[in-house]
Amino acid sequence: MTAALLDACLALCLPLLAWLVLRTESLSQSVVLFVAMGLLSALAWARLDAPDISLVEAAVGTGLTGALLMHTLSWTDERPPDVAARARHRPWAVVAMAALTGMLGWAVLSLPSDDPGLTREVDAHLAESGVEHPVTAVLLNYRGYDTLLEIAVLLVAVLGARAVNPRSERTTPEPSRDPLTGELFRMMTPALLLVAGYLVWVGEHGPGGAFQAGAILAGGGVVALLTTRLGTPRMSSWRVRWALLTGPLLFIGAAVAPLFSGRALLEYREAQAGTVIFVVELALTVSIAMVLWMFFPGMRPARAERSGKEPS
Amino acid sequence: MPELRMALAFFLLLNILAGLVRVVRGPTLTDRFIVAQLFGTTGVGVLVLLAADPGQAALRDVALVFALLAPVTVVAFVRFAVGSGPSPEQERR
Repeated sequence: MTAALLDACLALCLPLLAWLVLRTESLSQSVVLFVAMGLLSALAWARLDAPDISLVEAAVGTGLTGALLMHTLSWTDERPPDVAARARHRPWAVVAMAALTGMLGWAVLSLPSDDPGLTREVDAHLAESGVEHPVTAVLLNYRGYDTLLEIAVLLVAVLGARAVNPRSERTTPEPSRDPLTGELFRMMTPALLLVAGYLVWVGEHGPGGAFQAGAILAGGGVVALLTTRLGTPRMSSWRVRWALLTGPLLFIGAAVAPLFSGRALLEYREAQAGTVIFVVELALTVSIAMVLWMFFPGMRPARAERSGKEPS
Repeated sequence: MPELRMALAFFLLLNILAGLVRVVRGPTLTDRFIVAQLFGTTGVGVLVLLAADPGQAALRDVALVFALLAPVTVVAFVRFAVGSGPSPEQERR
């Protein structure tokens, strides 16, 4: 009974918050609402019995993205588009949106409700995959090429982020009036390292893995960026490049190696699969952490560059 | 006992709903942000309560991740609020 109330509450709040995020006239308010919405959607995933997605939502979707959006606010002076006014000007857009929503809803409702999908196949071959958690088995063994391509996309994304904002490649002087000290970073580092290592390890038999661990490490990097004089990692540094490439290169190596012994791409030997997956995940954690960290453009250089438009 | 946990989780969720009013009405950005952080703490509480159900232990990790990454957003907020000239108290919208 209470469980049903809880679920109903979540189901009502999520669309409401989504609407508020879009409707709000100030970017900073949107960001705050977005963080709140991310939290509720993590709870919703938890209630839907999908702890893996809940964990990713907590780590990447809300934790790091919230911080990224908040940080980006200090780089932007723009006001958000007025969604409601636009909708009034372009009624056909609303109609098209409603049609799309209707089609998606129809597609979801027309799915067979008790179809197990590929669950049985995954469970049947779990023993050969080298890991005990089906999600990790799918991501790094059965459909390893998806993950491999995702990592490539991440590398392109970080190049794009740096190309859009080349100023972040330069070192920026620390502003003099500074309420934040490096103390927080020193306090957080051990916990972050421990939890990141734990998440990589736990991925073998439960929800966890490189992406979540990378997000945790990147979170530490962001705190360092904002509270110490470390500055943002620069693409021109060889160390940064190696950190970015370790994961993808090792993954490609692990993917190609079976070809030399007459097996298919990414077809790990059953006995070694567990070790290979763990090593690849560790390397991916480093690269993903670096990529996510480099999305943060460092501190905005000078206040004088702002056009003087402050949110009223 | 599971019923009590669920009732407590529901109560915490109602707290989040009450906080939503503050997020929408403000008045200052700092109010809104503090409420969002309160959501984080409450959400961690809900997750820990849900994690006590059999087979849901993974939710404890979700709570852990939330708790660890919350300060990062706070730091980013402080950096934004302090760095952007007028204090957020002046941003009354």
